[in-house]
Amino acid sequence: MGKFNKGKKRGVPGVNTSALPDIIFMLLFFFMVATTMKEFDYQVEIIKPEADQARAIENKDMVDFVYIGFPVDKNQGTEARIQLNDALAPGPGSVIPWKIEQTRPGMTPFDIVTSLKVHKDVGMRVVSDVKENLREIDAIKINYSADERN
Amino acid sequence: MAKRELEEISAGSMADIAFLLLIFFLVTTTVEVDAGIGRNMPLKVDVTDPPPPVDIHDRDILEINANSKDELLVEGRLTAFEDLEDIVREYYTANMETETNPRMPRYTQITPTLCQQKIAQINQSFAANPEDMVIKAELENWKAKLELCQSLPEKSYPEISKMAIIRLKNQAGTTYGLYIQIQNVLKKIVNELRIEYCDEVWGKDYFALKPDDAEDADIISKLRILVPERIIEAKIDR
Repeated sequence: MGKFNKGKKRGVPGVNTSALPDIIFMLLFFFMVATTMKEFDYQVEIIKPEADQARAIENKDMVDFVYIGFPVDKNQGTEARIQLNDALAPGPGSVIPWKIEQTRPGMTPFDIVTSLKVHKDVGMRVVSDVKENLREIDAIKINYSADERN
Repeated sequence: MAKRELEEISAGSMADIAFLLLIFFLVTTTVEVDAGIGRNMPLKVDVTDPPPPVDIHDRDILEINANSKDELLVEGRLTAFEDLEDIVREYYTANMETETNPRMPRYTQITPTLCQQKIAQINQSFAANPEDMVIKAELENWKAKLELCQSLPEKSYPEISKMAIIRLKNQAGTTYGLYIQIQNVLKKIVNELRIEYCDEVWGKDYFALKPDDAEDADIISKLRILVPERIIEAKIDR
């Protein structure tokens, strides 16, 4: 036995770490690419109200979002406006064709929750108009978006 | 002059730099959590509504008005927002055990015997007109109540008056922030009561119930009978 090991130090050889930076870089790139900040630009400014009873929306695919807030572009005036997808809607009536367009195959507007993301200083008139229009097409499931912290 | 050999750049700290960047991205990435208060609006019905039943008592209705100046008028009285929570809690719980406040909704004790009586009664009228959806719904309702009674340890439960309704009314200028605060209070009280029942009867955490799970879904539907949430939103004043 001793014959072969003579003069050699015994011990566990160090792990080769030269590939470590590459692995870390791959992780880094993954996070950089996978991080999507938001799907589209907000045309309206929204500061959500706070509510401690707000619960996280679980199935986001089954939710449509309506944004109501004050226009970021000051040329659009200072009145509260509705944003559907990535554009400002002319009025609350636009919600109906929009909601029908969003309907998933095999479903009705009734099945899909509408989340209202509304600035806390917006008056109830606009919100009420949007709700009345949604009710016209039986889209009665509403989620009032709010921040959980309180 | 001696030729100097180029020294190799040490790449040993590369991993550390990459790690720093990675951690930076991990920390700055905030995934926006969408949270909110869920509500269902009443369906729009084409048929003209039957005239409202005459037995709606004033005590059954909790009237909450919010005006354009974000002031609250509860039951016709100017109220500070901080007091709303106690009023709503009083509304739900005042007469639950014993009759303590004659201005708040009445509770009746629902027992299996009562359920069976009602079911027998409704069955008779259902046999006469089997097409009537209202009678059918009423029958289903009582069957669910009977099932609920049998699953409770006391075999009975106090039920809030059927006409107990919270009426919420806003003006065009009422801010959405206040509206959500009111909705939040209403939700909070109902949740409080449901949490209590859920813990006492089933020994489960209400917020941990999964609607996809058959057993949990059954508990949720029972809690909805135990603590109903009836809110009517009047058209806003313009």
